[in-house]
Amino acid sequence: MIPMKQADIVTAVVLAAVGLAMLAGGFTMERLEVRRIHPASIPGLLPMILGVLLFICAVMLYRGARAELKDEVIELGDPIRLLGTGALCLIYAVGLIGRIPFHIATFVFIAGFVALFTWKGGSDRIRTLRWIVIALVTGAIASAAISSLFQYGFLVRLP
Amino acid sequence: MEALNGFLSALLELSTPIILFHVIWATLLGIIVGSLPGLTATMGVALLTSLTYSLDRDTAILVLICMYVGAIFGGSRSAILLNIPGTPASAATALDGYPLAQQGRAAYAMGLATAGSSIGTIVGIILLVLVAPPLAEAALRFGSFEFFWLAVFGVVISGQLTSLGSTLKGYIAGILGLMVAMIGSDGIHAVVRFNFGVTAMNGGIGLIPAMVGAFGFAEILTTMSNRSGVISKPDPKHKRVIPRMVDLWKYRVTILRSGIIGTVVGIIPGVGEDIGAWASYSAARRTSKERSQFGKGSYEGLIAAETGNSAVVPGSMIPAITLAVPGSAASAVLIAALFIHGVRPGPMIMIEQPDFLYLMAVMLLFATIAITILGLSMTRLFVKVLQVPQEFLMPIVFTLSVIGAYALTQRIFDIWVMVVFGIVGFVLRKMDYPMAPLVLGIILGDLLDKSLRRGLILSDGDISPFFLRPISAMFVLIIAVTILANLPVAKRLVSRILNGGSKSNKSG
Repeated sequence: MIPMKQADIVTAVVLAAVGLAMLAGGFTMERLEVRRIHPASIPGLLPMILGVLLFICAVMLYRGARAELKDEVIELGDPIRLLGTGALCLIYAVGLIGRIPFHIATFVFIAGFVALFTWKGGSDRIRTLRWIVIALVTGAIASAAISSLFQYGFLVRLP
Repeated sequence: MEALNGFLSALLELSTPIILFHVIWATLLGIIVGSLPGLTATMGVALLTSLTYSLDRDTAILVLICMYVGAIFGGSRSAILLNIPGTPASAATALDGYPLAQQGRAAYAMGLATAGSSIGTIVGIILLVLVAPPLAEAALRFGSFEFFWLAVFGVVISGQLTSLGSTLKGYIAGILGLMVAMIGSDGIHAVVRFNFGVTAMNGGIGLIPAMVGAFGFAEILTTMSNRSGVISKPDPKHKRVIPRMVDLWKYRVTILRSGIIGTVVGIIPGVGEDIGAWASYSAARRTSKERSQFGKGSYEGLIAAETGNSAVVPGSMIPAITLAVPGSAASAVLIAALFIHGVRPGPMIMIEQPDFLYLMAVMLLFATIAITILGLSMTRLFVKVLQVPQEFLMPIVFTLSVIGAYALTQRIFDIWVMVVFGIVGFVLRKMDYPMAPLVLGIILGDLLDKSLRRGLILSDGDISPFFLRPISAMFVLIIAVTILANLPVAKRLVSRILNGGSKSNKSG
């Protein structure tokens, strides 16, 4: 659990920095004088305006958070399940996709996901065997079905 | 009378068994695509476009329209059952649909959503046939100044309506979305902005990967981090699917109003179904006698959102056919498909192919009948989705999200965009930042940028036309009132004026 007030103050500082960076980025952006464009149509115009607006909002957020009296908290849920889900999804989307064939990557991801989150513990061999078979069969069926549907149904060239 | 004759002759022309067969399969496919989180109506229409090359003009366009209508409707299934909008258009549906599912009334909620979608589309079709030409003419009067305020209006209204407590956070989300839209080549001089040396960012951040991440991956993280799970079980006591006439009659004004709002929002270029749903939902909440029930499982809120988003579909066809300006992202793909099949949308269509408007209206009607039949008969099947444990469902949803991000442009980079938006979306959502203004900012950023700079070029740097042209002035007034209404200083001032007035009245 993270206090909302603290999170808002940190966010306000980050947003103010982003706003100023956007303002600076827009201001220093190419103005295309060589192409003799109208000065009002420079590409950095809207980024500068947005930078200023975000900075103003960040200041208001900061002031509002400082004045906040309520003790609201951010519930992150079960951190182990959250981290496990995030890690598996990242490994699949960033690590496996594009490096090994899609259907194999999908099989590994789904089977791994099901195995990790349905594990009940214990040393019963039959139960363990059943757990492994369910994870592998789910991964195989889902991978085959999804790959076939998109490759042959929607004609998507899978990664 | 001319409209009725045109409609009836188009109805006769399209009433063949083979056409009806295409209506059934394309609408069913649309519902499935729409109900799967991460697969949007836009992507469904885009993917299906490549499958319709070999079909004749009418069949091809019919199939794409059925996919569009089916997908927008299908988004409500996962919004109700999983609290994950299948398409962004269903985000408002989830507000009351999911609480109803948690109460065990998922089947009835889906029945009501079906009725709302069907009636909404029919209201939109009637308006399409009756008022398309004059409305298209009015939309022609919009210039850069009006489009600029239209984009600002969209972000402000979205930030206002979707904020989960603090309106400021809604505005911040909208500004962040607009900032994301600044990445890539600008629309006037083709200068590459904020690409940080990454060539893949030259074309900008794709809307679909961003939406799939913000709505799909972020939801997967939220769902999986809840040990108890957020997927509700259906209550066997609440098996009824077909909506009671008394419920529909009770909310008849809401249904009609939402249908009109949705159609009008659809006519406004580049706005789309999600704003139609939010605008209808907001109007219903403001005028409802059961306001306190909104967000907790209100039938009225659910019907308003579904009627509103579905009415946008026919509404978005009005500028698409008559001006070649898309009313939504999916209708932009549809315009491209029309060109492929030899139809040239634009003002000349009423002269070159005057029957085409009525053909489209009949196609929409067929799709509406199909969603009604399929939606009510397959509801129990969708309820079964609730019984799939999240440990089995979520990896499949993530796999679909990966394909959803990748399919349109076939770039691995878009998968990374989806992941980044998912993580950022999860963090922002936990801190009560709404996602809708962020997505809307990404959609409207280009329109805002081009309209601002074009307007300034037209006025030679003078900003007064942005405030003095009648439609612009109206937008400015609405936006100013909307923002000021949330400022504590303005609230205090108004209450002081009102109190002062009442005191002086008493003393007088």
